[in-house]
Amino acid sequence: MGEIKNEYRLLLPLLPFLAIIPCIAMTTEKNPTDFAWLIVVAPFLMFPIILITGQVYNKNETWKNTWKEGGILGLAALLVSLSTTVWIVYDYLIGQADIEQNDVTSWLEWISFDVLQSDYTIAQNRILGVGVWIDSLTLMLLFVATFLCFLICWFAIGYMTTDPINEDSNHRFFAEFVLFSLGMFGMVLADNFLWLFIFWEIMGLCSYLLIGFYYWKESAAAAAKKAFLTTRVGDVFLMIGLLILYDIYGSLDFAVVFDDPSTGIGGMAVESGELFWALMMLFIGAVGKSAQFPLHVWLPDAMEGPTPVSALIHAATMVNAGLYLIARLMPFVDIHHHGVAGLEDFGLIVAWIGGITAFMAASIAFVQNDIKKVLAYSTMSQLAYIFTGLGSALYFLSTGYHHEGYFVLGASLFHLFNHAMAKGMLFMASGSVIHEVHHAHDHLHHGSDHGDHDFDPQDMRNMGGLASKMPVTSTAMMFGSMSIIGIPLIGGFWSKEGIIAETWSAYFHGEPLMLGPALLILATAGMTGFYMSRMWFMTFAGEPKSDVIDHVHESTPWIKEPLLILTLITAIGGFALAVLGVVDFLSHQEHHLSLHGHTLIEQIQHELEHAFLPDDNKLRIVGWTTILLSFVIGPIMAARIHGGKLKDGHSANLFVGWLVNLSGKFGSQDVTWLAESQLAEALDKRLYFDDLYEGIIARTVIPLADLSAWFDKNVIDGIIKQVESKSVLGSVQIRKLTTGSARDYILMATVGALCIFALLVGVNI
Amino acid sequence: MNDPLTILTLTPLGVGLLLLILPNLLPGNSADTLRKVSRNISFGVSMGLFVFATYLSFETFGGIDWLNINMGEYKLMNAEPTPLISSIGVSWIVGVDALSLPMVWLTALLIPLSMLVEWDAKKGHIFHPLILVMEGALLGVFVTLDLFVFYVFWEMTLIPMFFLILVWGGDDRKYASMKFFIYTFTASVVMLVGILIMYFHTGDIAGVSGSLTGHHFSLLEMNSGMIQSEGLRHLVWILLLIGFATKMPSVPVHTWLPDAHVQAPTAGSMLLAGVMLKMGAYGFLRVAVSLFPESTVVFTPILVILGMSSLVYGAWVCMGQTNLKRMVAYSSVSHMGLIFLGIATMQPLGIAGALFMMFAHGLISPLLFAVAGAFKHHYHTLEIGSMRGIAHHSPYLAAHMMLGWMASLGLPLMAGFVAEVAILIAFWMSFGWLVLLPALTLIITAVYYLNSMQKTIFESNDPNHGILPESLHGEEPRDITWHENTSMFILGILTVLFGILPFIFFDMMSDWSTGFIQEVLLESIIDEGVKP
Repeated sequence: MGEIKNEYRLLLPLLPFLAIIPCIAMTTEKNPTDFAWLIVVAPFLMFPIILITGQVYNKNETWKNTWKEGGILGLAALLVSLSTTVWIVYDYLIGQADIEQNDVTSWLEWISFDVLQSDYTIAQNRILGVGVWIDSLTLMLLFVATFLCFLICWFAIGYMTTDPINEDSNHRFFAEFVLFSLGMFGMVLADNFLWLFIFWEIMGLCSYLLIGFYYWKESAAAAAKKAFLTTRVGDVFLMIGLLILYDIYGSLDFAVVFDDPSTGIGGMAVESGELFWALMMLFIGAVGKSAQFPLHVWLPDAMEGPTPVSALIHAATMVNAGLYLIARLMPFVDIHHHGVAGLEDFGLIVAWIGGITAFMAASIAFVQNDIKKVLAYSTMSQLAYIFTGLGSALYFLSTGYHHEGYFVLGASLFHLFNHAMAKGMLFMASGSVIHEVHHAHDHLHHGSDHGDHDFDPQDMRNMGGLASKMPVTSTAMMFGSMSIIGIPLIGGFWSKEGIIAETWSAYFHGEPLMLGPALLILATAGMTGFYMSRMWFMTFAGEPKSDVIDHVHESTPWIKEPLLILTLITAIGGFALAVLGVVDFLSHQEHHLSLHGHTLIEQIQHELEHAFLPDDNKLRIVGWTTILLSFVIGPIMAARIHGGKLKDGHSANLFVGWLVNLSGKFGSQDVTWLAESQLAEALDKRLYFDDLYEGIIARTVIPLADLSAWFDKNVIDGIIKQVESKSVLGSVQIRKLTTGSARDYILMATVGALCIFALLVGVNI
Repeated sequence: MNDPLTILTLTPLGVGLLLLILPNLLPGNSADTLRKVSRNISFGVSMGLFVFATYLSFETFGGIDWLNINMGEYKLMNAEPTPLISSIGVSWIVGVDALSLPMVWLTALLIPLSMLVEWDAKKGHIFHPLILVMEGALLGVFVTLDLFVFYVFWEMTLIPMFFLILVWGGDDRKYASMKFFIYTFTASVVMLVGILIMYFHTGDIAGVSGSLTGHHFSLLEMNSGMIQSEGLRHLVWILLLIGFATKMPSVPVHTWLPDAHVQAPTAGSMLLAGVMLKMGAYGFLRVAVSLFPESTVVFTPILVILGMSSLVYGAWVCMGQTNLKRMVAYSSVSHMGLIFLGIATMQPLGIAGALFMMFAHGLISPLLFAVAGAFKHHYHTLEIGSMRGIAHHSPYLAAHMMLGWMASLGLPLMAGFVAEVAILIAFWMSFGWLVLLPALTLIITAVYYLNSMQKTIFESNDPNHGILPESLHGEEPRDITWHENTSMFILGILTVLFGILPFIFFDMMSDWSTGFIQEVLLESIIDEGVKP
């Protein structure tokens, strides 16, 4: 690496793209929503441009240095999407637009057709098209998606183009990156279930392509295949869910379906049994995409992809798609607003799956040494939190407690926001660590036989003491971890607290089956405190565990800016949004973010009281237990095992120095016996799920496929061959004709043709 | 005979035959000159016909309103039937509707593309004119409305394909070409028996005079009422089904297809999968379903069984294949199963989905075979697993493979998905949870496609070199030529275009399907008490 160049001048080509939206906004009278198509179309147009230009101008110096192999172009497209989003969000939060109006702008009439109804009449002109649907959920997720896509693309320019292994193939990366963005934006904006699914699949494709970016690596190719196929299993069920929904409502448009979910097509009352299966099928799809038990096996392997991909797709955006889908399903069960009664079980199933996954993933995260794997399991566990929250919301809404239901819905979605910001940033920070450790290692072993290939730059056992070497990264990672753990006042605390409290509240409201998820996620809160702290201490605190660490510098350009921005958002964004009433906004209770007529101080006081001293005594106990487990017990245990002061002479900056010092003050504990136990081994082997699935596939699918091929060749075709060889009629005579010489065949064909001609002429005369 | 469809059909036939015969008649010098340019002439003619067909298809912007065309009404017909063999009632009647028009356009598109893929074929002066003859025969099948002419064209498609396999095929080409010919010919003869039974139940038509037998072959004048006996109607339906199902092909009469495909040259495979298989589905709808709606409704379970076994069993057989082209061939069997399922739903949406499947598969499968052919051409092997990491050596080939494979496994925003979604929605309406079988097969489809991709273009464990097959004997592989590249690019772009904007053909097909249900099938559906 060596020289650090200021490369901001490369951003100059972005200026015209930055100007597009303000120019439109100033000259048009139209709604910003009318321009929402720009969000999707900009990346759509940029995808082929990057791919083809990259293939043609591969190895060209200007393309490499000025255009960063397409990175700048990708950034430009994402800038258009981001600025359009900001314009729309501004319009809804502060400007003219009203969220209740649900502007539906139609983009495309995909196909239209007629349906033969059961009374043998034809229902004319049903349309499956796509348009834009905007409500608070859309706005939040759209902002998260466009904002993080932009920042991570920025980060990727630094991360990808400085890695020699990627040389000359980065245009592929950036093209697939913008294609993915298109899928995510489209999924969030789409106004019906079918197009949600279509964009959902586009994301799946890009996930496959990007996990397999290092296609020559066997592990990467296998991981990509695993991810695609596992999510495909979910997707197929999701598609069946769509078929059932279509049959019930005669449409898949949100506007039609949610207008009155209790009435199906032709005014027929909707049966809860049929709807339950439709929702369950959709849920299986969500489980696959969001990597929940039992379709969770693909996510840890997906870390084979480049780190920006992990940050974007497998932490911040795509894996949220399942949550988004489930959050969309709320109107079906909300019995106060035309929901269908009798769907309590659905909420319970969602909550249980969430609880089980949260606990399982957190426990597996205990023993992971790969920094990205820890984060992957953490993602799985946090998504499961949100699933549990959504499950409680579904349960509350279907039993009529709509106030609690909407509160926990808002809290879950708020957690989605906090988690996306924090986890996207954590992955980028881990990428920064891996990148610099890798470079330091290459630098150190330069000239020799390219170092030892066993060195794994992602293994935390090779790190330690990085706090002094990487000030920005360590600070970012500290705030990110705090947000994930739920340290009071920071980021995720505001949302996680709500989810745990309301899940318990569902139990207190008389549903004994909710005790399971409630206990599981409470325990997980403590476990999160442990494994996130463990990760931070192993990486940044203590003494360096390998000689490479001394040579690490935070020197790659393009990497720090996104980290700083997201650190700021993670640190204070959660609090600020909580004060502004984001929970009510996200659950459709409020149409704007505001202080509700209070002064700022009053509102802060109100939020703090609500968080720390809720009216209900039982909830107060739950709340403080959560804080005790996640804030005190978990981190202290981690500090006792992995914490420690830096090497003498090294110091860390103000933000993280205190934590490093503190971590050394709890003494140390030897846990070798635990690490060598069977439990640890089971966790290390991911509780044997992968082995189980592989075993089942190897024993059933592969033999059956071979059997089918054998059957086709020897039985079905065999019979034909028997008939052919045994056939009395002409078996000998006809074979004489098949001389195999082209000349004979042409002769025969000509004679035949002449005969036909003669017949023709003769008969006509 | 100066109507557009006649010109479209007879021009390639005439030019092709001329180019085949003339060099043998002319004196040496001019024969050689002709041989040199016959490839270019063939390509030029096919391109001209493509432009012409495109103009005809999209004339809707200029005049013809394809969306408001009634059932049983055809466009671009010749002014009046021209008697060909008036003594037995054969006449030249052509016309297209929403069922045949996309097929006509598809044929006109695929011919120049397949010529382009095999631009450097050996004996090009025979190869390319043969494909031109093929075009005439295929177009004839789709445009003619006379069953005799239909049958003649139907068999005529076999001849150029037979020679394509026999002369330009792989190592086992003799066996494959004979099997292809005899197998499908036998089935067609069964179909011919059905057609003849129908023929002898037709009466005189006013327009065609002088038929000695008092019968005629005109489809326009045939109707379901002409055969009085219900049992005979069912028998004819079955005979026709045997003929058409073999062509499609459907399990259990599909085994000619893999052999023919594996041995056929790339252009032959592209046309075989792209258009010839569709002749089966086209003929089934045009003749069997249109004329015997009652039998169709009665035998719906047979359609479901045939379709389902093709789909599910075909997919499982695919998984067990080790030859790339054989796998793609079986995947065609699997996809063709969906067409029967779509028809069996007895829903306008299902039938429209089946029609779109014919069209979409006609775009996607030629791409698959072009990719497989390129492997054969540049790597001299089709064994899955004999090479790894090919994406490094042939990035364009790998990209086309990725696109084609993904399109074929039903990824959204590509043409195949539109058809799948339409058929599955209709299938749920008619058959409920039985949809699990086709839906779960989508997973199997994804498994075999991803497996084959991973074992050819990925995972060499070396960023700078792939593991090359032994068949290359150590020589450095090249990426595909620009001919192949252009052809695959066009197919890929069209696949995506029709995935995003399917209404270009879909709306027309869905209107046709509604009319088809309403005017042909509805009475039988009500009579048989089938619940939609």
